[in-house]
Amino acid sequence: MNGFLAVYRREVLSLWVTPLAWVLLTVFLLLQGAIFYSIITHFASMADVSVDTGPVQAYFGQESIFLLMTLLLVCPALTMRVFAEERRSGTIEALLTAPVTAASVVLGKYAALLTTYALIWLPTLLYVVILRKTGVVDWGVVGSSYLGLFGIGAAYLSLGTLMSAMTKSQLVALLLTIFLEFGLFILGVGEYIFDPGLLRDVCAHVSMMGQMEDFSKGILDLRRVVFDGTVTALGLFVTTRVVDSWRWG
Amino acid sequence: MIEVSNLTKDYGTVVAVRDLSFSVGKGEIVGFLGPNGAGKSTTLRVLAGFLGATSGRIRIAGHDIAEAPLAARRSLGYMPESAPLYPEMRVTEYLLFRARLKEVPGSKQKAAIDGAMARAGVAHMAGTVIGHLSKGYRQRVALADALVSDPPLLILDEPTAGLDPNQIREVRALIKDLGGDRTVLLSTHILSEVEATCERAIVIDRGRLVAEGTIEELRTRQKTSSFSVRVRDANAASEAAVSGISGLVVHAAESEGARRTLHVTLGNELDAEAAIEALVRALTAAGIGIHALVPAQASLEQVFSELTAHETALAKTEPEGKP
Repeated sequence: MNGFLAVYRREVLSLWVTPLAWVLLTVFLLLQGAIFYSIITHFASMADVSVDTGPVQAYFGQESIFLLMTLLLVCPALTMRVFAEERRSGTIEALLTAPVTAASVVLGKYAALLTTYALIWLPTLLYVVILRKTGVVDWGVVGSSYLGLFGIGAAYLSLGTLMSAMTKSQLVALLLTIFLEFGLFILGVGEYIFDPGLLRDVCAHVSMMGQMEDFSKGILDLRRVVFDGTVTALGLFVTTRVVDSWRWG
Repeated sequence: MIEVSNLTKDYGTVVAVRDLSFSVGKGEIVGFLGPNGAGKSTTLRVLAGFLGATSGRIRIAGHDIAEAPLAARRSLGYMPESAPLYPEMRVTEYLLFRARLKEVPGSKQKAAIDGAMARAGVAHMAGTVIGHLSKGYRQRVALADALVSDPPLLILDEPTAGLDPNQIREVRALIKDLGGDRTVLLSTHILSEVEATCERAIVIDRGRLVAEGTIEELRTRQKTSSFSVRVRDANAASEAAVSGISGLVVHAAESEGARRTLHVTLGNELDAEAAIEALVRALTAAGIGIHALVPAQASLEQVFSELTAHETALAKTEPEGKP
């Protein structure tokens, strides 16, 4: 536990004293701002809007493809250095010779990434506050939407952490992560391509867009949560085994 | 403090350390010596718990590193070669992180960090970002990191590499100062370092133990011996007189008026006493007066090159790693 907290605190500090987190935050907010702006101008021209298809649902749900595309940019960039840089610079040697377990190191680093991810999303709460000024906002829907985003982020960051542990090169880690996460994202598109059947069902279950569409309507589907949790746990478990395996390299 | 028995470490097909056994007692300062690529860093990494041993048992402060890795790591401070640090952190931030990681209790962290910085001589750099420090200071921050949890055992991989002569002297003084209540194992390929700081040395070459013992014991292991003879020899006839004796080589001679000094090396296989007798007889027979016969003090340098060169020659004769 000691080790976990120490690693977590150092990692958060490192993320925010270097330009990386700030650059990502800026790019992310620019993109989100553009998406939100286009949605708002679209709805402003509409005379009547039903309860289930307001701007909040559009932002998190029907139009979530844009939002997920930005995650495919932000998450791999956030995770690429987490282990690759430690191994390239050799600091991993000092880290792993301290009395900490591989699990503490992996979880500490991962928790720091997840915190940073949450902090990057935090300013988007302002969008909801802006909408609140001019209309009614269903806070339950907002809550479930953020939960959906958190779940997707948790899974993406876990996969990115694993990819970063697989290589000493940040660039290779970045490319592997984008490849993997984009693949997962594309799999969800299969829902609209394949004929009804097993393949289409599988695609529908793993679809990030499907998840956001459900969650943005306030539908908390346990299967989605279990899927995100499974990907996250699997990624972190394998990462821990990879870190342990370095002793035998 | 350290007990290593039959340690072997291979990287796939390359065997870095083979069947190495040694032990280091409490309070000793031991030099781990060998040419570059001998397996020093690999051995220290295994001891520090960064690499796993392929076979063999290692006990650190009574804890088997395979069975109780955390307890073993808790009792040692390790300074990796080339001192890798996080460049974005300040010195105090880094040491605070390390103190937390090494389970220094919260109330003692500040004192531990200040103490470690003072001992390693980086107290005046406390607020500096590590990336802005020179190589020498980074090395000292890594040393402070090894000291921060006040461990009973210190494992230092080339602690003086990359330092200037003044800093080297300071670090050596610090290491001597640390001995006594602490055990220190330091690796180096510089012999004068071992002579200056260590009580005992372990010499390895090509992953195998070549010699082990106190500095004095190692000196006496010298295989070839040399001495100098001072003679009255105005005509420079002494060299011709001794040249007939087999296994005896005059490798240098200098004259000072009628006096002449011959530096003589005795071959490996030769009976040294018989050779010296023959030399004295030859010189007196030629009518040359002997003033002095002085055995040369074996330098560790010579012992080292002999030990490791011998090992290389040995390795060439036996085909290795082939079934």
